[in-house]
Amino acid sequence: MNKPGWIRIGLILLLLLALLVSAGLGALSISPVQLIAILGNAVGLSTEADYSETMSIVFWQIRLPRLLLALLVGSSLALSGAALQGLFRNPLADPTLIGISSGAALAAVLMIVLLTYLPFFSAENSWLSKYYWLNLFTFIGACACSFLVFRLARTGGKTMVATLLLAGLGVNALCAACTSLVTYLANEEELRSISFWSMGSLAGASWQVLAAIVPFTLLPFFILPALGKSLNAYSLGEAEAAYIGINVKRLKWTIITLSTLSVGAAVATCGIIGFVGLVVPHILRTICGTDHRHLLLNSALLGAVLLLLADTISRTIIAPAELPIGIVTALVGTPIFIVLLYRQKKKITL
Amino acid sequence: MLEIQKLYYKIGPQPILEDISACIRPGQLTVLLGANGAGKSTLLKVLAGENKPFRGSVTLKGRAISSHRPQELALRRAVLTQQYSLSLPFRCREVVMMGRYPHFKQTPSCSDQELVRLAMEEMMVEQLADRWFHTLSGGEQQRVQMARVLAQLYPLASVATKFLLLDEPTSSMDCLQQQLCLRKAKELAQAGCTVVVVLHDLNLAAQYADQVLLLKNGKLLKAGASAEVFQPDLIRQAYGYEVEIIYHNGVDFPILLPVFTGSKQSVNAKKIA
Repeated sequence: MNKPGWIRIGLILLLLLALLVSAGLGALSISPVQLIAILGNAVGLSTEADYSETMSIVFWQIRLPRLLLALLVGSSLALSGAALQGLFRNPLADPTLIGISSGAALAAVLMIVLLTYLPFFSAENSWLSKYYWLNLFTFIGACACSFLVFRLARTGGKTMVATLLLAGLGVNALCAACTSLVTYLANEEELRSISFWSMGSLAGASWQVLAAIVPFTLLPFFILPALGKSLNAYSLGEAEAAYIGINVKRLKWTIITLSTLSVGAAVATCGIIGFVGLVVPHILRTICGTDHRHLLLNSALLGAVLLLLADTISRTIIAPAELPIGIVTALVGTPIFIVLLYRQKKKITL
Repeated sequence: MLEIQKLYYKIGPQPILEDISACIRPGQLTVLLGANGAGKSTLLKVLAGENKPFRGSVTLKGRAISSHRPQELALRRAVLTQQYSLSLPFRCREVVMMGRYPHFKQTPSCSDQELVRLAMEEMMVEQLADRWFHTLSGGEQQRVQMARVLAQLYPLASVATKFLLLDEPTSSMDCLQQQLCLRKAKELAQAGCTVVVVLHDLNLAAQYADQVLLLKNGKLLKAGASAEVFQPDLIRQAYGYEVEIIYHNGVDFPILLPVFTGSKQSVNAKKIA
């Protein structure tokens, strides 16, 4: 088997291990044996392992939805990051850096504050429709920003690195200003949820939240990895890709739509979690190259692993309090971003 | 057969190609010549189906080239542009494999692998297969890209129904590589492929061309066999450059010798001698 194939198997094993570790760690620790017993009990197998009823409730109601949320959000952020980097033909195109996440967050914040004024958003609406409205809103915000950046960064059919980052900077600044404006108008309760959006957290995880984002995050997961060949060809250049039979226009639309859809959904539920989309594909490209036929799927796996571990750190390191996960990923991601910038400066494109 | 009829092309208000009609036959190596900005690359892009003609037409077997679907065209024609750099890190073998993309869905077959190996061997880049593309020199990158284009066109048995467009394929190569590259193009033409090459080196063109299209300011100055096009006054008109045409014993193509105004006397002196 080839190298990326082995890496995929390694990543799947790593993911299982990460699931086991994060399921066990927390305010109430559950040993692997007990975990297996709890799972076994659910499918009707009785085991001799001893666990309390509280453990079972904590696992099913608190920990499992959170693990699954971390898995979904981590994999969709990394997958969108890898796809966007292929589309912008630049390893620095992370959803946070180029302003997609902040556009989504601004839309979410606007929605929180303006909630009461919106006619379709009455108190009788169910939680699911609220979440779908929120997802739709953040999707629109994310789309608006990604189109803006994509247009700004392209000159004569090429995406310039400097322009891309500057456009991202501009869009981020604009969104930050608007968010501040909205914050100024917000009341105390709204303020708390706004700061949640700007720092990112998985603390809101529940089965309902999961149900709300599953369609938006699973769709890209089934479609994007199949575009590996097209994205490879696209890195030769736009005309060159068309010469080997790639429908370039359709490729661009599919990637922008699907990745903003999943980034938007992730931001709607967890706020801005930066740098996952930058760091994960970067690590994989360094190990086994850019071949998107493997990179996209492997990124999704590694993204899930990293976010699971980051979330475990964020909820255990200062227990019983919780550190927002956005802070953890930013602390790890920023140095890697700086290294990447430095390498680009030296014309070594990795 | 590629047929160009009364072709006009413009970018904004600026006409780039005007009233070009020519016939590009299979089994021949056609060379596009002309000074910088004469419209060679644009004509090649129109032939490739990337640029749609403003007026007139380019037809492949009676059907407009731009009406073919990209996937369909990719199976029948390969194009080498002047854009060599890659934006993300790939190994050379992966780059050459991209040429086979139109021919397989997800996983390359054994014959795809074999054709990639063959193309790399022919462009003498097989020893670079596992290197990162962006670490190569300009000439090496050009050869890897050329191997990719060959891989797209292969297998050799099928090239008679296909066409190959090369935009200055030898610009960064050393003299041996230039000869090998054009010899390969000629070999494909002899196997029945339609080959169009944009060149700057007149002597290289004279050596390999079956047909030459000489462009000047977007218009076709002369179309014909090497011996008809390589005339001192035509070259002067196209390039503003004085040449003397020499036929050497045992060589069946013309050789172009530059004549600089400053050294005209010495050339004249040679003639007398």
